[in-house]
Amino acid sequence: MPNQVVSRPARRQFALSGLALGAAALAPHGALAQAAKPAGPAQASGPIVLHGVSPRLTVHALDTFHGAAATGLRIDFSKLEGSQYKLLRSIVVNANGRSDDPLLIGETYQAGDYELLLHVDDYFAGKQARLPTPPFLTKLPVRIRVANTAERIHLPIQFGPWSYTYSRGS
Amino acid sequence: MTGITTHVLNITNGRPLAGLQVDLYDVATNPPTRMNTTRTNADGRTNAPMLAGKDARTGHFELRFHVGDHFKASDGLSDVVPVRFSIFDAKQHYHVPMLCAPWFFSTYRGS
Repeated sequence: MPNQVVSRPARRQFALSGLALGAAALAPHGALAQAAKPAGPAQASGPIVLHGVSPRLTVHALDTFHGAAATGLRIDFSKLEGSQYKLLRSIVVNANGRSDDPLLIGETYQAGDYELLLHVDDYFAGKQARLPTPPFLTKLPVRIRVANTAERIHLPIQFGPWSYTYSRGS
Repeated sequence: MTGITTHVLNITNGRPLAGLQVDLYDVATNPPTRMNTTRTNADGRTNAPMLAGKDARTGHFELRFHVGDHFKASDGLSDVVPVRFSIFDAKQHYHVPMLCAPWFFSTYRGS
């Protein structure tokens, strides 16, 4: 993504060091050395500033159960055609909690109704979370409308085994 | 109490969202089977449970909230918001609220 502006404000750095301190304070003695190592996936990268970039659809998936980016989560991305959602592609959320590329950008960023189907059941099963069978949330559909292709849409999704929230972000 | 209930709140004004169409579907069938359609009352709830206790059973269900018709925002993020969930124990009550604005949607298993 050549026109993506990546910055690392000092404010965020301070917040991250606070998180690292918190983790160290909570860790048992034996784990202190481990806690001092670079932080996990959620903190692995600086904030991504999208202000001013070209119109696009981007997604950010966060696992509120583990307090981390939802790395490894599969999302089936589809577009409504007639009365059926037609699969455009499947993505796996990266270490940053995002798809490697925008879901839609340039020519592909077209008005319409889209669905992101989050494979939440497989994701938490992979994390060995103890949940009922079937779990409350299995394949989680998030349906959004792109109305104005002159404006980009960033879609943050926060989910746990029993709840989720999505909104228009920036 | 058992079955499925909901409660819709409008977070743009901090009030119950009245008059919103809510559907309940059985999504274990293909295509999904509509089990109930109703509208929220002045309290943002439905007068009767979406799925009555006597009909409670395990399975895969979907509530659909017709928020687009209500908010009528030209740049609204979603039109119909599906909340797909599973019931693993029919003896439990499933309260599934929806907190919403034209650009924000949140749901959870409540009580």
